[in-house]
Amino acid sequence: MKILVVEDSSSMRAYLTTIIEGGTESYDLEIVEAASGFEALKTLPHHKFDAILTDINMPDINGLELVSFLKNHPVYRNIPIMVISTESTEEDRRRAAALGAEEYLVKPFQAGDLVEKLRRLLKVA
Amino acid sequence: MAREDDRAREEFTSEAEELLDTLSRDLVDFESQGTNVRPELVNKIFREVHSLKGLAGMLGFTEISELSHSLEDMLDRLRMGRIAISKDLVDLLYDSVDSLNRLVIAINDSSVSGLVDMTGLTRRIHQIITSQPQQKHGDAFAELTLDEQTRKSLTEYEEHRLLENVRAGKHILSLEVTFDFSDFDERLRTLTSNLSEAGEVISTLPAIPTGNVNGIAFRLLYGSTLDSAAVAVLAPEAAVSSLRKSGAADSQPAVPPPPAEVEEEMSLRSLSQTVRVDISKLDHVMNIVGELIIEKTQLEALTRAIAMQQARMASHELGKISRNLDRKLNELQKSVIEIRMVPVGQIYSKLSRTVRKVARELNKEIELVLRGEDTELDKMMVEELTDPLMHIIRNALDHGIEPAEERKTSGKNPVGRVTLTAYQQGNSVVLDVTDDGRGIDPEKIRRVAAERGLIGGKEVVDQARAYELLFTPGFSTAAAVSEISGRGVGLDVVKKNIQELKGSIDVLSHIGEGSTFRISLPITLAIIQALIVDAGGDKFAIPLTSVEESLRIYSRDIRTVERKEVFTLRDFTLPLLRLADAFGLDDDHDHGPDTKWFVVVTRAGEKSIGLLVNALVRQQEVVIKSIGERLKTIPGIAGATEIGESEIVLVVDVGSLIDHFGGRAREVRAAVVLN
Repeated sequence: MKILVVEDSSSMRAYLTTIIEGGTESYDLEIVEAASGFEALKTLPHHKFDAILTDINMPDINGLELVSFLKNHPVYRNIPIMVISTESTEEDRRRAAALGAEEYLVKPFQAGDLVEKLRRLLKVA
Repeated sequence: MAREDDRAREEFTSEAEELLDTLSRDLVDFESQGTNVRPELVNKIFREVHSLKGLAGMLGFTEISELSHSLEDMLDRLRMGRIAISKDLVDLLYDSVDSLNRLVIAINDSSVSGLVDMTGLTRRIHQIITSQPQQKHGDAFAELTLDEQTRKSLTEYEEHRLLENVRAGKHILSLEVTFDFSDFDERLRTLTSNLSEAGEVISTLPAIPTGNVNGIAFRLLYGSTLDSAAVAVLAPEAAVSSLRKSGAADSQPAVPPPPAEVEEEMSLRSLSQTVRVDISKLDHVMNIVGELIIEKTQLEALTRAIAMQQARMASHELGKISRNLDRKLNELQKSVIEIRMVPVGQIYSKLSRTVRKVARELNKEIELVLRGEDTELDKMMVEELTDPLMHIIRNALDHGIEPAEERKTSGKNPVGRVTLTAYQQGNSVVLDVTDDGRGIDPEKIRRVAAERGLIGGKEVVDQARAYELLFTPGFSTAAAVSEISGRGVGLDVVKKNIQELKGSIDVLSHIGEGSTFRISLPITLAIIQALIVDAGGDKFAIPLTSVEESLRIYSRDIRTVERKEVFTLRDFTLPLLRLADAFGLDDDHDHGPDTKWFVVVTRAGEKSIGLLVNALVRQQEVVIKSIGERLKTIPGIAGATEIGESEIVLVVDVGSLIDHFGGRAREVRAAVVLN
C-alpha cells in the first residue's frame, strides 16, 4: 500500500512518517512525502496512492484546494483523504467534509488516533 | 521510541529556529511598510506563527504553543481586517517573537527559562484584540458570479480578500490556464508573480483540464485595477473572464492604480534544494580533510627522500601523484569550508530585535544601520559571535549614545545611530560596531578603574591604557549584566570569547564623536596556513593570519629600551620577544653580535610584536587540534598540530602572547569616519 503525506513542515512530516511506520508495521506500507500542494499534484501521476494525508495551511495551494481538486478528478476521486490540521472548529470540519474528505484529525493528536483513523481510511483491521 | 522523541524534538527545535528567523525578517519588512502592509506579507506572517503553533502543540511545548496560539488569533484578525496596525501591535509582535525565541532556546538550555512574561504578553494581545470593534462585513458574493464548488473551496481568509477587492472597486477576474504536469509549478509561479505586480492573486484552485490529459488546469481568482482585456495581454496563456455581475463596477475601477507591488520571492525550489546538516557532521568531514592533509605532507616528505636517493623515475611518478593529490585536496577543503560558510546577516535580525528592545528600555531613539550582511563566516563562528556582538551593541546604546537632550545640545541628531559593518579583509572577517555617541573619555575610565581598585589612584591613563582597562576583568560591574545572554558578562569576557575564536578586538574612539569596536576574525578555524619556525631547537607553528612579515637580523641590531629588547623596523620601534624564552626553553643560541636571527613580525588587532626565532622552516597548512585543559592556562598556545612525519608542534596564539608580554600599536588610528 502507498500513502501520500502532504505537509509543509519538515519536522512534522518526519514525525508523521515515524508514527505511521511504527503503527503499521504489519502492512507493507510505502510513504511518499510532499512539502506543498504543488509537490503533491506533481507526484500524483507517478504513483497509485491508497490514501492521502494532508495539512491545510500550506504555501501555494492549500489542503482544502487539494481536496477539492482530488474529489473532482476522474482518476483520483476515489482515493480516501484525511485532513490533519490545527484548525479545530466545527466550521473547519464541515468545510473539509463538504469537499469530500473522509477523515479529519486535529493537531496535536495522539499517535494512536492517527493510526486508528489511517487504518479506517485504508479499510484494514 | 525515546530516541525518536529526541530526534523529533531536535528537528522541531531547528525548524522552529528557522521559522522564527524568517518571522523576524518579515517583521522588519512589516514595520517598514507602515500601516499599509501588503496582505500577502500579513498572511505569510500569520502562516509562520500558525506553523509554529502546530509544531509546538504536537511536541507538547505548552508555553510556545499557547503564546503562538494567542498571537495567531490576533494575526488572524489582522489579516481579516478586523483590527488595525498600530505601534502597540508592532511592538507586541516584536516582543512576542523575542519571547518565542527564548522559549525555543529554553528547550535545550533551561537557564534561559523564566525570562518570559507570558501573562503580560497574553494580556497585551487580549487588549489589542478587544480594543477595536469588530466590523461586520457584507456578502462578497452578491456582486459576483461564482459557482458553488469554487465558493466552497475558498478559505475564510480568501473570502475576506475577495470581499476587500470587491469593496475597493477592483476588477474581479477568473483566469483559467492549463499546464503540463511536468512544469506546471514553475509556469504557475511565473504567472502568479507577473499578476501580483498589478493586483492580488486571491486564490489558486486546481481543476481538471478538458483537453490535455497530461495536464492540469488552474483557476485563479484575481483582483486588479486592470480590466479583463489588459489582463489577457499580461497572461496570454489564460482564458480571462470577469466575475462581476453585469452593470457592477467592473468597467469603472473606483480607485487609482496602486504602485506596482513586487511579489516576494518565495521559491519553493530553492527550499527543496537545501539540505540541513548537523554542524558536527561537517566537523567530522573537516577532520578527515585535515588527516588527509597530514598524509599528503608525509607523502611529500617521502617523495623528497626518494628524490635524494636518485630513483628518478619513481620520484617523478610520486611527485606527480603528490601534486594531483594536493590539487584535489585543496578543492575538497575549499568546498567543505564553503559549505560551512553562512552570511553574517543571519544574526542581523536577532540584533535588530535586541536594539529595538534595549532602545525602548533606555528610552532612547536609535537608528540601527546594518551593512555587509552577505559577508560570509564559518557557521560555528557566527553562532559564537552573537553574544559578544549583542554585548558590544548594548554597551554602545547604554554608554555610547547620549540621551536625546544632550545630543541636541551638542548639535547632534537626537536619534542616535549605531552602525554594524561586516567586511572581508584578506583572510579575516572584520565586524565594526560604530556609534555616534560621546566617545570614550580616558579620564572617566581612569576614575572608574581607580574606584574599583584596578589601578593606583595616581596612575596616568592615556587613551591606549583606557581602552586596555575597558577589557580588564572587574571593570564592568553587575550593572552591565547582559539580559540578552542571561548571564552577567563584561567586556573582558567578550574579549576572551573572541580570542577563543582566534580573533581580536580593538577600540577606536574620538571624544564627542563616537566609538568603534572592531572585531577581527579568521574566516574559518578548522584549517589554517602557518609558518613553521624553530626556536631554541623546538618547532612552533605561527598562524599566517597573524604574520605581517619576516626579516633576518643580527644580534647587534637588537637594542634595549627600558630593559626590553626592541628592534627598529622602518621608523617603528618594534618590541621583541624571544619565542624560546616565552615558553621557558633553553636558548643557547645567542653568542656575540654576529649571531643570526629571524624576526617574525606578528600582529593581533592593532598591536604588533616581533617574535625572535632561530630559523624559518617552511609554510604549510595545519589542522589545529585542541590540547588538554592542563595546558590551557599557559599563555600563547592556541593548540597543537601535526606537521608530518608524526611530528607534533605547538601552535602559537599571537593575541594572548601580546596580551601577556605586551605589544605596541603602530600608530593611533583615526576613528572610523562617522556620518
